[in-house]
Amino acid sequence: MKLLRRIHLYAGLFLAPWVLMYAISTIAMNHRELFREEATSNPQWQKRSESRFSGVLSTDASIDQRATTILAWLGQDGAYNARWQAQRGALVIQRQRLIDPLRITYTPSDGRVVVEGQPTRTSALLERMHRRRGFDRDQVADDIWAFIVDAFIVVMIFWVISGFILWWQMKVTRRIGFVFALGGLAIFAFFAAVL
Amino acid sequence: MVIQHFNRRLHLYLGLALTPWMLLYAASSIPFSHGRFFDDLDKAKGQPNWIRRAELPYDFPVPQDDAQLRAFGARVMHAAGLDGAFGAYRQSPSQVNVYHHSVWKSTQVKYLIGEKKLVVEDARFRWDHMLTGFHTKGGFEQESWLHESWGLAVDLVSLGLILWVASGFYMWIPMRNLRRSGLYALTAGIASFVLLVWLL
Repeated sequence: MKLLRRIHLYAGLFLAPWVLMYAISTIAMNHRELFREEATSNPQWQKRSESRFSGVLSTDASIDQRATTILAWLGQDGAYNARWQAQRGALVIQRQRLIDPLRITYTPSDGRVVVEGQPTRTSALLERMHRRRGFDRDQVADDIWAFIVDAFIVVMIFWVISGFILWWQMKVTRRIGFVFALGGLAIFAFFAAVL
Repeated sequence: MVIQHFNRRLHLYLGLALTPWMLLYAASSIPFSHGRFFDDLDKAKGQPNWIRRAELPYDFPVPQDDAQLRAFGARVMHAAGLDGAFGAYRQSPSQVNVYHHSVWKSTQVKYLIGEKKLVVEDARFRWDHMLTGFHTKGGFEQESWLHESWGLAVDLVSLGLILWVASGFYMWIPMRNLRRSGLYALTAGIASFVLLVWLL
């Protein structure tokens, strides 16, 4: 029982930043209307720099190969999303950084590389953290984040199970505990049935 | 002492009341985190994701302004005989999709503008989609008290989690024999979090 209490506590302390991030970002995402003004009053993308790519990219290269080459040339390796915009004849790369995401547009016809950034918005940062997943990417940091998210899932289930065991040991709280546990379950079940 | 006693009870009862939400968010985070695995698993079944239910003639001008799209979506929902939560999206210049979603069932109505018809399709039930759909369910964007109540419940659960962390801290601090080791765990958590946010 002592070990159970210790794991319950230490896991809680270690994962406290994630619990707070998920809780606060959920409120922000649940009230996007409140942050809409903040979002629209700022321009979406602002030009940061413009340069000419001096290297050579094979015409046979895939979109991912081109994107990773441009990112490496800019010193911006990391998670990204890239697509070819046929109308503009440009490769558009979304460099998915948590704090400062970038949009990089490469036009092969003249070698122009335009880097754009967004003004910092707390609600958008929170949402990016909430939605971040990592196992599909090649970066170590993304894998670690994804691993912690998985650990968070396991620990959440552990908190529930250990919490129930610890509660059951405390005879004096059993009756009121039942009221809260059943109350929560009844409200949840109601919503699951009607929504 | 009285405050500490109250705090312990708050931590316990809050945890018990929040249990269903914690289990939902934990279980639904698995398909979010391992979406490709679940998609591959489902693809192996070789079944369509959408099953056509009906086709209806329909002709109504689509508003150019995206702010008016929700009202248009409500009209399409009514025409398709659907009621409940929905979202309307401009799929392409020639198509508007209206998604009707409940916890257990999802339906999409495609308005094919050129063909002047509505195509109603039901989603094949998938546990992973049910869980992720429930996870992302908001409520305040819908025009019904039931969905707004769910939105309020989500807010309360989030506030409950913050209170849960705060009450946990308040229980830990007086435990002198666990202060140092707890501080290591807390520092390691904060350092990992800050480092990863900075790196990602």
